[in-house]
Amino acid sequence: MRIVLDRPRCEGHGLCEEAAPELMHLDDDGELVLDRAEVGEADAARAGAAVRVCPVAALRIA
Amino acid sequence: MKGATVRRVVVVGNGIAGVTAADALREAGFDGELTVVGDEPYPAYSRPALSKALLTDGDDMSSCLLPPAGHGADERLGVRATGLDLDGRLVVLDDGTALPYDRLVLATGSRARRLSALPGELTLRGLDDALVLRGRLAARPSVVVVGGGPLGMEIASGCLAAGCRVTLVSRGVPLSARLGPHLAGVFAGAAREQGLTVVETGAARLGGGAGGTRVVLADGTVLDAELVVTAAGDVPNTEWLAGTGLTADGAVPVDVRGLVRPDVAAVGDLAALPTPYGPRRVPLWSSAIEQAKAAARALLHGVAAPPLSFQPYFWTEQFGLGLKAVGHLPGEGRPVYLEGGPGGGPALMRWTHADGTGVAVALDHRVSVPRLRRLSRTAA
Repeated sequence: MRIVLDRPRCEGHGLCEEAAPELMHLDDDGELVLDRAEVGEADAARAGAAVRVCPVAALRIA
Repeated sequence: MKGATVRRVVVVGNGIAGVTAADALREAGFDGELTVVGDEPYPAYSRPALSKALLTDGDDMSSCLLPPAGHGADERLGVRATGLDLDGRLVVLDDGTALPYDRLVLATGSRARRLSALPGELTLRGLDDALVLRGRLAARPSVVVVGGGPLGMEIASGCLAAGCRVTLVSRGVPLSARLGPHLAGVFAGAAREQGLTVVETGAARLGGGAGGTRVVLADGTVLDAELVVTAAGDVPNTEWLAGTGLTADGAVPVDVRGLVRPDVAAVGDLAALPTPYGPRRVPLWSSAIEQAKAAARALLHGVAAPPLSFQPYFWTEQFGLGLKAVGHLPGEGRPVYLEGGPGGGPALMRWTHADGTGVAVALDHRVSVPRLRRLSRTAA
């Protein structure tokens, strides 16, 4: 599975980083960086939690 | 592990609190029968987006659509819970059926507090409300918004952006109760610049008339508008819990893990949590999520589960300004500026409360929640 970011939609809240810090983080400018967009079964739940927590629906799983 | 004896869990409520509780139950290892009941026909959506991007997005719905749930529960959507039998462990539904449970999550949220029974009074709480309001704005009606809290101000901002003439009726200075005088002043300036008319009054009431709904101020002044929207707070949906003894002061008090009793949790806008300021509802997006995660673990693992530990995260977007805050608002007096200054532009500020805790606020500044969290803890 793959995490997909809709960048124009992202407002830099960073709740996703709190849910899955090993998969993504916000850089110094508040831009989201997907450190690992391709995730395996082991990280599926965390990726799902990160996607779910986004209040502006900027993330999805493909 | 206690969880081994849990075979059936029912989650009543399919907002972000309910859906997160269902997800978190699965993540905590629950693989039994899971049922989610939701009174709206829609899958969970982002409520914060309803009064922000969605109002001005034309026909686009994507700003509030959340990804599909991964919990694999039996979803009963468009169905309302009407009663709870704690001894028999049964949730009674309005379709005539009853759901047995071993563990139960109460997540029925809250509804808009209306000021009248007039059909001309619009409120904004659910997706249907937002779509109705957005549809009405297309004709650029004159608008009166009643309520000077964050929701009322976001609605007023959205109506202005849609090209309407907008008057906001507020008890006291808009936002001052929620954000404190300093930030309220910043937003008042931005709102004025964009053309918002603010009317401060005591209690306002609505009346019907030949021309439609009108707003009557405390001094008797009458405001007419083609569209009246009220944002006067919310009321927890607890009527279905009548007779259970689980409610107090219209909410459901919970312990530090979100439990009402060992087999029942309450999460989201209807739950009153222990806070440094006493039991309080904290009706915020991230609060609902953190409550739901903690409560799901506690339902399965009891006191072995970690207690809820979080600082409120609040954000608003209105009149061209964006604010993000971690910690307890309002901040009294003037803040310490960590970046920027009071003259406008991006700023990062902090207030320290009397008890030593702090609140960190980013204004028009792209700062992440994790960083705001760190700043709120660091003494200025």
